[in-house]
Amino acid sequence: MAADRSAASTPADPDGPDAVRLTWNAWPRSKVEASRCVVPLAASICPVRSPESLASPPLPYPPLRCKPPCSALINPFARVDYAAKIWICPLCFSRNHFPPHYAGISENNVPAELFAQCSTVEYLVAGAPGSPAPPPPVFLFVIDTCIIEEELEYVKLSMRKAVALLPEHALVGLVTFGTQVHLHELGFSDLSKIYVFRGTKDISKEQILDQLGLSGVGRPGFPKMTQQPGGQQVNGMHPSTTAGVNRFLLPVSECECTLSTLLDELQPDQWPVEAGNRAIRCTGVALSVAAGLLGACMPGTGARIIALLGGPCTEGPGVIVSKDLSEPVRSHKDLDKDAAPHFQKAVKFYDGLAKQLVSQGHVLDVFASALDQVGLAEMKLAIERTGGLVVLSESFGHSVFKDSFKRIFEGGEHSLGLSFNGTLEINCSKDIKVQGVIGPCTSLEKKGALCADTVVGQGNSTAWKMCGLDRNTSFTVFFDVSPSERTSQPGHQNPDLYIQFVTSYQHPEGQMRIRVTTISRKWVDGSTNTEELVEGFDQETAAVVLARYISLKMELEEEFDATRWLDRSLIRLCSRFGDYRKDDPSSFSLHSNFSLFPQFMFNLRRSQFVQVFNNSPDETAYFRMLLNRESITNSVAMIQPSLISFSFDTPPSPVFLDVASIAPDRILLLDAYFSVVIFHGMTIAQWRNMCYQNQPEHQQFAQLLQAPQEEAQVIINGRFPVPRLVVCDQHGSQARFLLAKLNPSATYNSAHDVPAGSDIIFTDDVSFQVFCEHLQRLAVQS
Amino acid sequence: MSRPPPSFTPQNPTPAPNPGGPASSFPASFSNLQISGAPPPFASAGPPAGNGPAPPSIRGPQAPVPGARPFAGSPSPPVQQSPPFGGPPAVQPLQPPQRPPFHGPLSGPPAQAQRAPFRGPPAASQPPPFAGPPAAVSQPPPFVATPQLPPYSAAQPQLFGGPPGGAVPLPTYSMPPFGGPPQQGPYGGPPQFGGQRPGSQPPSFGAHTAPASQPPPFMGVPGASAPAFGPPGWQGQPQPGVLPGGLQPSMRMPVMPGGMQPIAGQGIPSTPTMPYSPHAGAQVSTPSKIDPNQIPRPIAETSVVIFETRQGGQAAVPPAASSEFIVKDTGNCSPRLMRCTMNQIPCTGDLVTTSGMPLALMVQPFALPHPSEEPIQLVDFGEMGPIRCSRCKAYINPFMRFVDQGKNFICNLCGFSNDTPREYLCNLGPDGRRRDADDRPELCRGTVEFIASKEFLVREPMPAVYFFLVDVSMNAVHTGATAAACSAISQALSDLPEGPRTMVGIATFDSAIHFYSLKRAQQQPLMLIVPDIQDVYTPLQMDLILPVSECRDSLEQLLESIPSMFENNRVADSAFGAAMKASFLAMKPTGGKLLVFQSVLPSVGTGSLSAREAEGRSNISTGDKEAHKLLQPVDKTLKTMALEFAEYQVCVDVFLTTQSYTDIASISVVPSTTGGRVYYYFPFSALSDPAKLFNDLRWNISRPQGFEAVMRVRCSQGLQVQDYSGNFCKRVPTDIDLPAIDSDKAIMVTFKHDDKFQENSECAFQCALLYTTVYGQRRIRVINISLPCTSMLSNLFRYADLETQFTYIVKQAASGIPTSSPSQVRDQVTSTCINILQSYRKYCASVSSSGQLILPEALKLLPLYTLALIKSIGLRNDGRIDDRSYWVSIVSSISVFLAVPLVFPRMIALHDLMSRDDEDSLIPNHLTLNSENIQDDGIYLLENGEDGFIYVGNAVNSATLEQIFGSSSLAGVPNQLVLEQFDNELSRKVNEIVNEIRRQRCSYLRLRLCQKGDPSGDFFRSLLVEDKAPGGLSYVEFLVHVHRQIQSKMT
Repeated sequence: MAADRSAASTPADPDGPDAVRLTWNAWPRSKVEASRCVVPLAASICPVRSPESLASPPLPYPPLRCKPPCSALINPFARVDYAAKIWICPLCFSRNHFPPHYAGISENNVPAELFAQCSTVEYLVAGAPGSPAPPPPVFLFVIDTCIIEEELEYVKLSMRKAVALLPEHALVGLVTFGTQVHLHELGFSDLSKIYVFRGTKDISKEQILDQLGLSGVGRPGFPKMTQQPGGQQVNGMHPSTTAGVNRFLLPVSECECTLSTLLDELQPDQWPVEAGNRAIRCTGVALSVAAGLLGACMPGTGARIIALLGGPCTEGPGVIVSKDLSEPVRSHKDLDKDAAPHFQKAVKFYDGLAKQLVSQGHVLDVFASALDQVGLAEMKLAIERTGGLVVLSESFGHSVFKDSFKRIFEGGEHSLGLSFNGTLEINCSKDIKVQGVIGPCTSLEKKGALCADTVVGQGNSTAWKMCGLDRNTSFTVFFDVSPSERTSQPGHQNPDLYIQFVTSYQHPEGQMRIRVTTISRKWVDGSTNTEELVEGFDQETAAVVLARYISLKMELEEEFDATRWLDRSLIRLCSRFGDYRKDDPSSFSLHSNFSLFPQFMFNLRRSQFVQVFNNSPDETAYFRMLLNRESITNSVAMIQPSLISFSFDTPPSPVFLDVASIAPDRILLLDAYFSVVIFHGMTIAQWRNMCYQNQPEHQQFAQLLQAPQEEAQVIINGRFPVPRLVVCDQHGSQARFLLAKLNPSATYNSAHDVPAGSDIIFTDDVSFQVFCEHLQRLAVQS
Repeated sequence: MSRPPPSFTPQNPTPAPNPGGPASSFPASFSNLQISGAPPPFASAGPPAGNGPAPPSIRGPQAPVPGARPFAGSPSPPVQQSPPFGGPPAVQPLQPPQRPPFHGPLSGPPAQAQRAPFRGPPAASQPPPFAGPPAAVSQPPPFVATPQLPPYSAAQPQLFGGPPGGAVPLPTYSMPPFGGPPQQGPYGGPPQFGGQRPGSQPPSFGAHTAPASQPPPFMGVPGASAPAFGPPGWQGQPQPGVLPGGLQPSMRMPVMPGGMQPIAGQGIPSTPTMPYSPHAGAQVSTPSKIDPNQIPRPIAETSVVIFETRQGGQAAVPPAASSEFIVKDTGNCSPRLMRCTMNQIPCTGDLVTTSGMPLALMVQPFALPHPSEEPIQLVDFGEMGPIRCSRCKAYINPFMRFVDQGKNFICNLCGFSNDTPREYLCNLGPDGRRRDADDRPELCRGTVEFIASKEFLVREPMPAVYFFLVDVSMNAVHTGATAAACSAISQALSDLPEGPRTMVGIATFDSAIHFYSLKRAQQQPLMLIVPDIQDVYTPLQMDLILPVSECRDSLEQLLESIPSMFENNRVADSAFGAAMKASFLAMKPTGGKLLVFQSVLPSVGTGSLSAREAEGRSNISTGDKEAHKLLQPVDKTLKTMALEFAEYQVCVDVFLTTQSYTDIASISVVPSTTGGRVYYYFPFSALSDPAKLFNDLRWNISRPQGFEAVMRVRCSQGLQVQDYSGNFCKRVPTDIDLPAIDSDKAIMVTFKHDDKFQENSECAFQCALLYTTVYGQRRIRVINISLPCTSMLSNLFRYADLETQFTYIVKQAASGIPTSSPSQVRDQVTSTCINILQSYRKYCASVSSSGQLILPEALKLLPLYTLALIKSIGLRNDGRIDDRSYWVSIVSSISVFLAVPLVFPRMIALHDLMSRDDEDSLIPNHLTLNSENIQDDGIYLLENGEDGFIYVGNAVNSATLEQIFGSSSLAGVPNQLVLEQFDNELSRKVNEIVNEIRRQRCSYLRLRLCQKGDPSGDFFRSLLVEDKAPGGLSYVEFLVHVHRQIQSKMT
């Protein structure tokens, strides 16, 4: 499980070819039964995961759709009458005629979308002949200049690399900001021309376009204009003729030079910072301006705002803390006590920004590199709704930033497969309703019959917008079972349920594609049939879904006691599905499908997702955003890190995430997703310090030291954002990164029976063993 | 040709026909008066039937008018002269009036002493009354002297007829009034010099070089020869004459009196009018007609006068502002810096009211000195700061009296007795003055500068900041205005004050504002655009304004590229207000001068304006009644902005290089509130205007000036400041804030009585100006003047300062223009004139017959100037709104020196330069402003300090044309003339003259070509003030009108 998290890029995809995992693979038919399952009916889907693994190459024709209102796409589960040239939609049972060009269809000539193994298939949507080439991707960089010279140099370095990696035809724009926002007009050659916006004033998109002379122009012809012969570089002086956006967004090939000069000349913000004050930084306006500028692009153009932030917004809309240094940035405590004066306003601002970006179909990525918080908690909305990437690090010089930043521009094997303008539609069998989606998307508010009354996350819709998505992006869809009167009558019942996910998106190469995934699962009748339910339980998915669900509740509901809620859920689940005799804790046992679940819950209770007080609101927001968008396997690692032991005696092997796993002659490799820790036991560390690894006779030791490094590198290479690598020794200060994750089976309270060379954890937290004892006792209570 | 000629086209719509018709009527009426039988006044006489003066009025008027001067005693003899009018006016119209008259007079025996009064310097007449005071004395000289007196005065009596004939009226008057003691009267001063010929005098001072501070305005250095123009003539006269022998002023004086003395005036005193009174009656009989050649006109004075501001412990009466003189500061300030409408202060407020004259001070703190004058002395009191009265805070000055062996001093303004600081103690000499008084400038000079001590500093003195803001909207670029502005700025950079404290910045704007950061290692400057023009801001905290030494090269380069950079600009909108505001924000930390080059009506952003003029026209129903609203600012936006600018010491000058309406009424609020001014180039011509633009800019930044100034005028108890007017911002009632003040700006201060003065006391005025020099030194310039008080109305008239009073009237009129209809303003102006003259008539010349128009000597040109004012651009009905607004805007800060010519221009002939041989001055004598002087074969230059109009008749010798214009035909020569110098003597002379005028006016005249038969020619003719124009009276008619009004009031 957790151990094979690196599966993402390997053929053996734990999420299956459909990249869909359900908490329950067998569904109870009634609402009551569903609620007795405790863990919600939910699916984690990864809509554009590794196209290479699909059974069929993309189909160069448009898909067939069932008649409205169903509109489901044809799929392998459809029953086909080859003679009558009719297919029956498995979701609604409507009969559809094949169109004339399917005339040749027969048992021996079946189109790819009907092959059983093609439950997931992709279609290429060709534009009308002669229609313009797909618009080039747009990258609008927004760079914070309220940072020290050294940091700025790192930024420049990364920027130069990024520009070099960008495809030639990609359009680039540059916004820098500090006290004010500087929008650089790259298409003006006479001198460096900058539009300056004040940091204090919230300006609407219309105002921005107006002020840039872009209102009314640009949109219709945007894609074409960029193709205009570079000839006479219309000097951007007269907006009315030089329509446009192409004054600010230029193909890399045309503005590489200008950009590099600009970067060379870029200086830290020149506005003075008064003593005792923070730098004045108007992140909010900068992002507004960037969004406004992109507003002049045609909606549907894949565009991303890539913001590099070096500190908190202290001015204008989106401010999260005042200039006065004596006011600390809000903490969780402040948020709880409603003592964060700027929070709600900032959230509202970013909510507006999110709406704007979504309506334009553009993405906001944030790379925050600062020791203090920058306001991710507030920006979360805008990032998540648009499907933006987010990376939090301490410095622009840190590998977490540097490598992650580079990754987004890389092509080929390591490409993130950044896609744009996705839309997810869900179709399902009758009796199934969709409550909503958690993940980097926005509800399109397209109501339909399958909308449930209760809403989870982005709900009230049958379609969701994903301005940006990549190969790893996943979503959690919450379902509800609500059988209608008629269908609940026995006899009529169809034993299978079908759910279809239709994702249309702009592929990194530019063309639009539609991917259809149709899955089929079994209904379970009655309340007695626990067996089937148990068989269909996916504990990893369940843990992750609960984690996502609970994170959402923590954000939305005041006074929500997450730990208690989790405990209660776990107990209910165990009561329902455990084997035990009433009131006899010792008789308690769980099916193997549930066996790890208590441990997941135990670690979830202790994780950063629930125990937020150890983290800043920014970090929490960051963790949750990644939790919500990562695949199940990666998300499990966030909840319950994996621990691998390296020693002379045995091959590398997973060990318990327990303090007891620490031994002086072991090297432990912890993968907590956000960080990867290599922990050298005391003895190993001593040897290493004495440089045995350099001695020929201790080759083996050198290899032992090397092995976890290599393993760590594999992890790092496959992950975005790049995790933080911590290399530490037992009893070293950095060892806390490991200890914090371990089960405190040995604490200072139990120190008397600690074996030599082992370690203890200074905590009053209960250990997993104690946790389980209580669980057993409570689960069996009548 | 821009000018709307319409009004003029009909040159003389109702030309006064012959003497016959209307004329006759006049005579009739007059007949009652003195006017003799001579029936027809001159041609011009008849007011057109319908016109202004109702028929009845007619009669009265004219005759009298002329008579005016005559009043005094003009004896009947003149009568004969009448011929002038009737006769041949046409023929030799213009002779300078003066000449003829004089002959007579001069020759006249001294006896005439009495009459002397009139003619001579104003003073003359009144003296008698007071006999007591020295003042009186001086008069005599006047006459004697001579020759130049104004024609009429001499001739006086007769109404117009100037009496050339030998028979001078003199005898007639009995009034010896002046009899006053001979002592050197106030005037004493002036006369002395008069005698001297111009040439010789200056020498004495010659040694002194001009104060360093003044840069040469244009071409040459302010030359030695000041123009002797107009009015001066009058005043000057006294001097000349006589005193042949006595150069020494003081000495001489006595003499004169002697002559006069006989008069024994005392007895007569009661009649201030003396001069005239008796005769008046007598005169009546004189049937004269008005001789246009004899009516009062300014006389050119070419001699340079040396003027000591105080003599014998008394304030001396200053020479005319327009004359050339060299000031020796002997206690009172130079009249250039500050002069009063009256050279004696009335003891009571009632007296002021009765006189009808204004009591005001014109202060021009940085007025350019004559090159031969001593510079103003700088006094440094160190830490202690200048000595001040501890009660009223007045600064130490020569009129503070030290008592008790110098231990105390008594403030001459509030009367408080202060302890003398120990460091400043000094014994008194036998004359009661401190022994060190002559060594300390603050105790012996009317004007000194103190170095400001810390208490005057609220911050470090600001650097000299010059921020240029250039319109680059489509029209500006297309008309070449942008290029002209850039080139002017570029050239002017070298005229900025030297030193590290001189900072510059630049921005351009269309519908957005473009700033430039020049401080970059790289070659290219950085262009920062502020697109939000509703709510502007500055794009950088620093680096927008840099020491000129650090960025000159890149700035020059930038200026060169701006025109091409915006060559294809299609943005027609211009965010003038917003751009100013943004620039202001950039300048806010320091303050400084914001020089804006604007070319179109500001159409967008904060403070945008609309084409009100067009709206006004299309909406005829509102008619004339509302028309003047277009002369008011459209709203308060710009005013509010300007107040903020002023608060942060930002002074705005606006250069309007436009070809269309720009709503100057609204725009001008900004400069006028911040101590700047509007420059107007309409219609802008890329050919002729860049030179003026450059020269104006250059003078703007290089003339003597100060920054972040605060000014307060204090006066003796008994008076209080009523109001200040000029280009400044007033936040508290007592002080005015001047973000910048320069040598061209004058401030008018009006006073009112809150108590009485004692008859023999003096009233002092002190103007204190705290400012920062362009080199960053904080100073206080203190300007003092102390004038005698009088309770005699006749003294007020005698010591009235015509030009200053007239400037007051012009400014009052200008301030009324935006709020009243032109006809109301004209009526107001006329009635001011009438009231003054009526007061004089009533209280000072009561004896004379009602048929005579009697003008006080000092104010005899008042009617002429008033007429000119009524016909000036600002008060015309038919002017373009912007032209009128512009006129109003420049008048608000105009100095006395320039106010008169602005309204009453000077005209000279150019075609006959070669035949003339005026050694005296570069500029030939001016011609009277009437069309009789315009000949078809002549070329004339008429200038008002702003524009120069070159009129070319239609029969001009083509060789002359060739010489002056380089082309024998004017067919292709544009109206907006670029005067080139060709290789011939005539061309050289013409250029010299034009340049000399430019130098004198500190203004690079715009030259326009006016040709007969063309609208431009008609416009030219409309500037001939004495002519009758549609809806406007001729000079003679106006005199008649004034006279009638006075008569009707008297009855």
